[in-house]
Amino acid sequence: MSNKIGVFVCHCGINIASTVDVKELVEYAKKLKGVIVSKDYKYMCSDVGGNLIKDSIKKNKLDGVVIACCSPRMHEHTFRGVVEAGGVNAFNLEIANIREQCSWAHDDKTRATEKAKALVRGAVSKAILLEPLERSKIEVTQKALVIGGGIAGIQAALDLAEEGHKVYLVEKTPSIGGRMAQLDKTFPTLDCSGCILTPKMMEINNHPNIELLSYSEIKSVEGSIGNYTVKVNKKAKFVDMDKCTGCGDCVEACRMKDHVNSEFDEGIGKRSSIYIPFPQAVPLKATIDKDNCLMLKRGKCGTGALCVEACEAKAINFKQKDEEVEIKVGAILVATGYDLLDPTSLYEYGYDHSKDVITSLQMERLISTSGPTNGEIIRPSNGDKPKSITYILCVGSRDEKECTWCCRIGCMSALKHVYLLKEKLGDDIEMNVCYTDIRSFGKGYEEFYRKIRSMNTNFFRGRPSEVRNLGDHLTIDIFDTTTNKLFEINTDLVVLVPALIPRVDSDDFARKLRISQSGDGFLLEAHPKLRPMDTFTGGIFIAGCCQAPKDIQDSVAQASGAAARAANILSKKVLEAEPLISYVDEDYCSGCSTCISVCAYNAIELVKREDDKQLAKVNEALCMGCGACVASCPSGAMQQKGFKDYQLKPMIEETV
Amino acid sequence: MKKYAVYPGCVMPTEQYAYEMSIREIMPHLDIELVDLKGFSCCSEPIKSVNQMLTLALSARNIAIAEKEELDIFAPCPMCHLALSDCKRVLDTNLMMNKRVNSYLTDEGLKYTGTAEIVSILDLLHDIVGIDKIKEKVKKPLKDLKTATHYGCHLIRPSEIGRSDDAENPQKMENILKTIGAKPEYYPEKLDCCGALLTANLPESALTKTGQKLQRVQEQEFDAFIDTCPWCHRQYDSKQIKAGETVAAKLEVPVLYLTQLLGISMGIPKEKLGLNLNLSPIEKLNLGGKKT
Amino acid sequence: MTITDLTSMGESQTELKKEINERLQRLQDEISDYCYQCAKCTSGCEAHKLLELEPHKIVALLKKGLIDEMVNSDVIWTCMSCFKCRERCPQNVAPVEVLFALKNIAVASGQQIPGNYTAMLQSVLSMGLLQEVKNVLTRDNKTVSRTNLGLPEVSKPTDHTKFQMMLSKIAVEKV
Repeated sequence: MSNKIGVFVCHCGINIASTVDVKELVEYAKKLKGVIVSKDYKYMCSDVGGNLIKDSIKKNKLDGVVIACCSPRMHEHTFRGVVEAGGVNAFNLEIANIREQCSWAHDDKTRATEKAKALVRGAVSKAILLEPLERSKIEVTQKALVIGGGIAGIQAALDLAEEGHKVYLVEKTPSIGGRMAQLDKTFPTLDCSGCILTPKMMEINNHPNIELLSYSEIKSVEGSIGNYTVKVNKKAKFVDMDKCTGCGDCVEACRMKDHVNSEFDEGIGKRSSIYIPFPQAVPLKATIDKDNCLMLKRGKCGTGALCVEACEAKAINFKQKDEEVEIKVGAILVATGYDLLDPTSLYEYGYDHSKDVITSLQMERLISTSGPTNGEIIRPSNGDKPKSITYILCVGSRDEKECTWCCRIGCMSALKHVYLLKEKLGDDIEMNVCYTDIRSFGKGYEEFYRKIRSMNTNFFRGRPSEVRNLGDHLTIDIFDTTTNKLFEINTDLVVLVPALIPRVDSDDFARKLRISQSGDGFLLEAHPKLRPMDTFTGGIFIAGCCQAPKDIQDSVAQASGAAARAANILSKKVLEAEPLISYVDEDYCSGCSTCISVCAYNAIELVKREDDKQLAKVNEALCMGCGACVASCPSGAMQQKGFKDYQLKPMIEETV
Repeated sequence: MKKYAVYPGCVMPTEQYAYEMSIREIMPHLDIELVDLKGFSCCSEPIKSVNQMLTLALSARNIAIAEKEELDIFAPCPMCHLALSDCKRVLDTNLMMNKRVNSYLTDEGLKYTGTAEIVSILDLLHDIVGIDKIKEKVKKPLKDLKTATHYGCHLIRPSEIGRSDDAENPQKMENILKTIGAKPEYYPEKLDCCGALLTANLPESALTKTGQKLQRVQEQEFDAFIDTCPWCHRQYDSKQIKAGETVAAKLEVPVLYLTQLLGISMGIPKEKLGLNLNLSPIEKLNLGGKKT
Repeated sequence: MTITDLTSMGESQTELKKEINERLQRLQDEISDYCYQCAKCTSGCEAHKLLELEPHKIVALLKKGLIDEMVNSDVIWTCMSCFKCRERCPQNVAPVEVLFALKNIAVASGQQIPGNYTAMLQSVLSMGLLQEVKNVLTRDNKTVSRTNLGLPEVSKPTDHTKFQMMLSKIAVEKV
């Protein structure tokens, strides 16, 4: 019970004061039961405001504080610190939200002031009943898990490792490198993608603090901030990693050589069943794709497996099994990247009708000197050198039927291709670019666009309605809104620049990690501006295209940012946990387990007391204080600290 | 035996008799009973440009006539099928429009209730009768007839309304044709419009659209051009020579209704399928073994 | 004179624009006028090459409220209603539906109805169908009738007075 309460009313500049009569509110509060002092100030969240509260606490020997200001989401944390510094328990503080829930929502000053009074009245009645609470201590596992070995995951893992933390880097495919490894050059500087990426990949390989788990997938995640237990499935590579030297003899020997679509080459190149995805792969080890290996699929490979014969190191082991490893970490950083929209869903663009309609990522593999054609640009249908190439931008992007968002890299990647293709094929190559708007927003991007404009390129501002396959060539009608004319383009190769979409398994993945997704399916940040790398789940951070489409520059920046956010946790041995969590009143609990079914954090379990009674029990480390169990409990046994029924009821009565 | 009220519309029962004859011939073989009802009118889709309210009201009126008999509706003409389907969609989702449109029907003692299902020729053949059943009935499979399909715009677009096949990659006609032994092949102009709706005010342009498409079909050496819409068929078959003149080409493309070809494969005599009414050079096809 | 030449004289008719948009919403759940002028519609317009219809411009003019110009132009009567513009629009705009609205407005405001539309309307009014039952030619140049071919009598409205009463009511209505 508090009986010496101070009420502090903030003007928030004019945000509150223009709609609520602050002076009247202060005078009103002074008369409320339990209140012995009430004051107002222009910005209570400022240093001066904080000192005003601290001084009042000391001078009046307050044992409870009510602050009427903005939403507790904004400044509750700040004010708890202030109150604590003044000498009152941080949880003997109650916020009355008179900004978002009052001044911003109303115009009528008289009625808004009355509502503010009601909110303060309610807050005071609760403050009287609040109990002091102590934060519990959590020991932190000072290790990190980074999921995804693309450029974002690589950057984050290196940053964390450099800070001295042990990092597990989990990558789904046989090698790290991600999308960036597939690219030939990068815009707008035309740096060789491999040249700037592979040193970082080698660093991952050699860093003493990094443990790379390639060809591995997350199975389950349990625990909470500071202490996560993650089960990882290391898929069988059927190759002994310790023995394999990465010589590639097995790859050459494989009976399925040049018969399996290469994922790395986006299906335009072929690989063997046993493969190393690309020459700079890390780890540089062979992997057997069990879906395409004759031995694993049929139990028989001709007269004997040729890879086994070829391998001097005797590394191949068809009996290898998937292996489950359990790792314990304090923070998780997600950098799982993006998928490309399958352009078949825009059937009119002919991706299904012609081999000569390809995606921009497939073109990237054609341009790459380490690609399936050694950098030679060909028409996939007949192997001829194209004389005319046409780009169609925004394929499925900014499209209410496909992806509503902008892919943020399409324009620049197409401009980059124009440059590279002119370089490779000579100025005679006819380059057509059908665009809706060229978005060249990054540093140096507009300048790059200007450079491309100086090159002999046909820009059409418009979108084709369809691509027609006329056998020996493709034809496109495009209405160009800059000249107000319909152009008929006859071309040899059409490059579609498809939308970037969330990973196809992102729903499952998000559920496993208990993190949220935005409506578009990308992983959701805790705040779009102020907490762009945090998720709503403590200790889990996001970076790169898993959050939203972005270019390499932004992915790397976000990855370093997310690593710094994770290091905030990992650099501490002990974290303080919020005490506003739920607990069970054993006298009332019937063990019905309704609470267990609604808990999103797996924080409640059913236990047997000595007298054999079944009871719910809250795991304090896992409880996030969401209150779902409290609301669902049929008997009222489930209570939340700081929000107990007997504290809330008077508040409701007083307010309403 | 499934029962449907057949809603004939205007163009089919006033001049495109081959379509009607072939439908009436094949449906009983496929266990579909067609019921003729009195009192139908135009669906008004062709004059939607003049007054769209009229299209909604007349479509609702026609649906209501079938609903009174507790029958689902089979609309062989894609344009009618679009009008009725669009009307159903508007009236089933918009209470205000439902009330307004129904207020016009009371004088004739009719009421649109939304109980009747509306099926097109492709719904009926491909989804309701089904490929398996068609396969059973094939007696004289067509040998490798290289066919170009023409769905007709109204049968596949706009997909928001719910049409009979995919708007961009329709395959149901292809599936049926393959079942009866023909060899449908992709051609880039497959989804192009016949231009028929311009007949009212720009007949020359309408014919040019027809001619342009047929010319491309002829260049690609198709044996036959198969359609399901009386408006399109009138352009491609009945007016083929005139259409050729607009593009300065001698067009000689055999054009048949899907239902005619289906009937032939089922062994139905060609007189009963109205083949004598096709004006395009179908004699080139040597259908049913004998010269037509 | 093309449609664009006329627009420079136009004044925005906001009320009419609102009316058209409301009308479209009544007919199409998802209609938007959030066009960003990608001109995908015009690139694929069946009437564009032959008759210079530019659906993206129709939508732009509607957005600016320049409706009289379109209502007074023959261009709106060149649409073949193939629905490709509506089908493929990335922003759920439906130029074909805008065109239906504009043509309806042209008719309601007493503009001359082009071509055969009046005759078709008249035919529906007098007998319920677009045209009379025709005799047709066979391949061997014989004239045959429906009856000759063994087809049943055509279904038509039975009570003509009531049917015509209904039509006359709707004639003055708009969506």
